[in-house]
Amino acid sequence: MNTKPDVIQKCLWPACLVGLFIPGALSLHCNLLHLHLREVTWQNLRLLNSMSNSFPVECLRETRAFELPQDIQSHTPPGKRYLKEAFYEMSTQAFNIFRESTTKSTWKKKYLKQIQIRLDWQMHHLEKCFEEEEKGKEDSKQMEEDGMDFSGAMVSQVSSLELRRYFYRMYNFLKDKKYSHCAWEIIRVELRRCFYYFYKLTLLLRKK
Amino acid sequence: MLWSQNTSWIRPRDLYPVVYIGLMVGVVSAWPDLSDESCTLKVTFRSFRLILSWELKNHSIAPTHYTLWYTVMSKPDDMKIVEHCSNITASFCDLTDVWEVLPETYIPRVDGFRGNTMLVSCISDFFLATHVSLEPPDFDIVGSTNHINVIVKFPPVIPKILNGEILQHYLPLVIEEQSGKIVKKHHPKLNGNIIGNVTYVIDKLIPNTNYCVSVYFKSKVMGAINRSPVKCTFLQPGQETESSESAKIGGIIVMFLIAAVFISTILILKRVGYICLRNDFPKVLNFNNLSSWVFLERPPLETVAFVEVIHVNRKKKVWDYNYDDESDSNEEVAPPVSGGGYTMHGLTGRLLGPASASSATLEDCIQPDAEEPDQSEPEADTERLMAAWPSPEQSECCKSGAYKERGRLPQDPVSEDDDSFTEESGDKITFNVNLNSVFVRIPDDDSEVPPTSPSFLEETANLEDSDETEISFLAASGEGTQPPFASPSAECPWPEDALSDKSDSSESDADIRDGYIMR
Repeated sequence: MNTKPDVIQKCLWPACLVGLFIPGALSLHCNLLHLHLREVTWQNLRLLNSMSNSFPVECLRETRAFELPQDIQSHTPPGKRYLKEAFYEMSTQAFNIFRESTTKSTWKKKYLKQIQIRLDWQMHHLEKCFEEEEKGKEDSKQMEEDGMDFSGAMVSQVSSLELRRYFYRMYNFLKDKKYSHCAWEIIRVELRRCFYYFYKLTLLLRKK
Repeated sequence: MLWSQNTSWIRPRDLYPVVYIGLMVGVVSAWPDLSDESCTLKVTFRSFRLILSWELKNHSIAPTHYTLWYTVMSKPDDMKIVEHCSNITASFCDLTDVWEVLPETYIPRVDGFRGNTMLVSCISDFFLATHVSLEPPDFDIVGSTNHINVIVKFPPVIPKILNGEILQHYLPLVIEEQSGKIVKKHHPKLNGNIIGNVTYVIDKLIPNTNYCVSVYFKSKVMGAINRSPVKCTFLQPGQETESSESAKIGGIIVMFLIAAVFISTILILKRVGYICLRNDFPKVLNFNNLSSWVFLERPPLETVAFVEVIHVNRKKKVWDYNYDDESDSNEEVAPPVSGGGYTMHGLTGRLLGPASASSATLEDCIQPDAEEPDQSEPEADTERLMAAWPSPEQSECCKSGAYKERGRLPQDPVSEDDDSFTEESGDKITFNVNLNSVFVRIPDDDSEVPPTSPSFLEETANLEDSDETEISFLAASGEGTQPPFASPSAECPWPEDALSDKSDSSESDADIRDGYIMR
């Protein structure tokens, strides 16, 4: 008795339905990406809050100013392109930092793992949205739009560089403090502050 | 068991690092966290003011005054003293104008003193975006017939820490309306710049119902939700509101417009001639003589043309299809006798128009010599005539023959069979009167001109020669018309003898035309 064809037939119809909806879901994904980013960022922020009870008083002497870029702290609504690039840079750099914390920090492992999963999800979907935008640019034949995109790209590159330097300062701080407990607590507080400003950017984008 | 020679001896100096590490771990674990057990610090918003409050866990320690210090995590600065919260006796401090950045991590420290001795020191950290709790705002409610005004009290100036998008995105205001077991939530939209109180109207409520309202800020950022105390109001029924008054005014205006459109349509149709409005109303709708209509009085005499029929005692003859001569019979009842010896039969013709001026009288036709009261036979068909004559004012657009016919003598078919044939139709009574046996008189007191009736003379002449004929007769009309049989006083062309000898069988040579019998 051959049950495989029956199984295939049973799964064929749901698979077709899923296949029909995937392109639509992916096409909607980039348009609603800021909503997903908002929710994911807020969840990461709350996880960072839960990873430690309170800040150790002895670590107050080792605090450092990491100088979050002013563009991130701005109250003006950002452009979609800039927002996506900033999120991508933040997700990539924060993921690298948390990757170091898996073996060197005293944080709760389950919270740490959830944060890493969310950051990885952010990077993956942002990359797909960038690919779709690149395909759209190749199909476009308007030179004026290309010129405008070039200037916009310059601005976004500068902002990404500033953001990257910001995370490098945190990374270097950890190395200098030899991944001490206080250093991790200080980095945890700083990342919580950073995530909040990115969360606020998603709200500003909706307002725009 | 013997140790082998290759066993490395654990020397005491190798244990030193182990001991040291153990001691350090113990010391580090013994170091207090910022969440000190000696006191509990709490940050909240009260009436949009950021308040830091503290409470000692050990109540036996009672400091006399407190001093507040703080620092921030983002800047490697030393502790700063809060000037207006230095050496205070209260166990709270207003930091609205001190802590102005929401995503910042603030680290406050409270030192409790008794005199110059510090009894307790409390320190903690607050990430305001997630740690602060928001108390509900103050509000008032004003209930009306079907709506409630909820007045949420905001400060004249919103604190900087709540400015911008905080109130719009992080602190959505929720107004709960509860009636019985039904709870409804309202989400008024707050803009970024809120100045003063905010009024929200809960409408579409049921009068004569009790409603309770609660207000709070709902935000996942600010922590748990604190609902305000409930305030209730009872909506009074039947109160006039501005909306109901405006609705009434609007309804009145609409009705007025509809009536105006309807009246204008009727007038236009009347002008065009599409519709005809009758002016000659039926008698029951004649309100000209309202008093008589109300009291059901008889119309005045001047509106009625009386016709006095002078009955000549003549035997009634019924033709029984027998051409033989028959004697007259005296079976009819003798009519009432007037003072002049005549048999009077009043024929009342009701005139719709003024008829007094033109109503002619036939009194002059009465010959006082006629003395046959007892033996005169009243015509059986002589009855009180109630003829309704139409008003001379004819309708403008209605010139139908029906009206004309009403203005004329009603057609009474000449019947050889029965000269007492009476036909009653509507408001008029037609009857046959043998002119050969009667004198007709229309009383008219005001008339000085004796009515002329050339036709009367003509008929008299005809009657002398012709047989008794039967004609239909009606009372004289109103204005402008002369009774066909009206005659001046001195000219009564109806000799009685001539009339009495006439038979009543032969057909007259009267020409019946349009209801009139012309001679």
